[in-house]
Amino acid sequence: MKIEAKLFLLVAPFFVLVGVVYGFAVDWNEPVGYLGFPALAALMAMIGAYLALTARRIDERPEDDEDGEIADGAGEQGVYAPWSWWPLVIGAAAAVTFLGLAVGWWVLYLGFVLGIIGLVGWVFEFSRGQHAH
Amino acid sequence: MSTSATAAAPTAHPHVSVNRPNPVSVGTIVWLASELMFFAGLFAMYFTVRAMMDPAEWAAATELLNVKFAFANTTVLVLSSVTCQAGVVAAERFRPVRTGRLWQVTRWGMNEWITLTFLMGAVFIGGQVYEYTALVHEGVSISSSAFGSVFYLTTGFHGLHVIGGLIAFLFLLGRSFAAKRFGHHEATTAIVTSYYWHFVDVIWLALFAVIYLLQ
Repeated sequence: MKIEAKLFLLVAPFFVLVGVVYGFAVDWNEPVGYLGFPALAALMAMIGAYLALTARRIDERPEDDEDGEIADGAGEQGVYAPWSWWPLVIGAAAAVTFLGLAVGWWVLYLGFVLGIIGLVGWVFEFSRGQHAH
Repeated sequence: MSTSATAAAPTAHPHVSVNRPNPVSVGTIVWLASELMFFAGLFAMYFTVRAMMDPAEWAAATELLNVKFAFANTTVLVLSSVTCQAGVVAAERFRPVRTGRLWQVTRWGMNEWITLTFLMGAVFIGGQVYEYTALVHEGVSISSSAFGSVFYLTTGFHGLHVIGGLIAFLFLLGRSFAAKRFGHHEATTAIVTSYYWHFVDVIWLALFAVIYLLQ
């Protein structure tokens, strides 16, 4: 996990530096660039710091082992939904909502209602029915 | 138990030795990084308008800001991050409901802490609405001046994110109440919702510092 953390953390100072160079190049008159680059550094640092913290908590993964085999990574990868219709409902709700912005406000409200139905269905899919636990 | 709940994917079979990072947490962090860039765009817009606008006109508008009220509101939001984290600690110990009386705060479960966090977030939104009405009465609206536009766009998009967080808290509580056995599924939800809440809180601190303190 350390290599992923380094990949992100080492790029962050580079963007701070680029931001400073940019600032001098435009005489600090154009804030979008000299603020945007440090923000990009913060984006990198945020992911990097999270990965570094996670790396400390977990075991060495097979990917981190120079002599690792594919088979070493067998087993559980995480919890994933085998299939679900709800993302389709949420996607349709997003489409209807954006259509509402173009066509008229009344369509927007239909999109909201559909969105609420889709979100509730999606969030609670693995908390009820045959998945109740 | 607490570290494995945060960092590792839940494993159903104890014989599997590989301890992986939780993909939900990693995905949330990567998404939050993209949210950071969204707010970076808003900050860039704010600073560009600040640099371009007539300083006297800008100062006339910023004078109307109620810094003391906004500071109190900010305090509520920052403290709500603390209560949110207390809820996560309870969730990582798989303790959804309190084990003592309501006033025994140290024995609170996740539901109590998250409900308190929700109320504090709602107070913050109420404060924002109060502030907006006061400013509109003073003649600062989204279309009145460039300052009005950037003020309402930056704080408004942040407010929408807070409302999104409030909805997420409702879903978190819903999952917690729906579960007969509070497990990794619910704890993971609590953890990633707290990531989002802390992120929105930090963004507000930056907005508060720029809009109210630097002016």
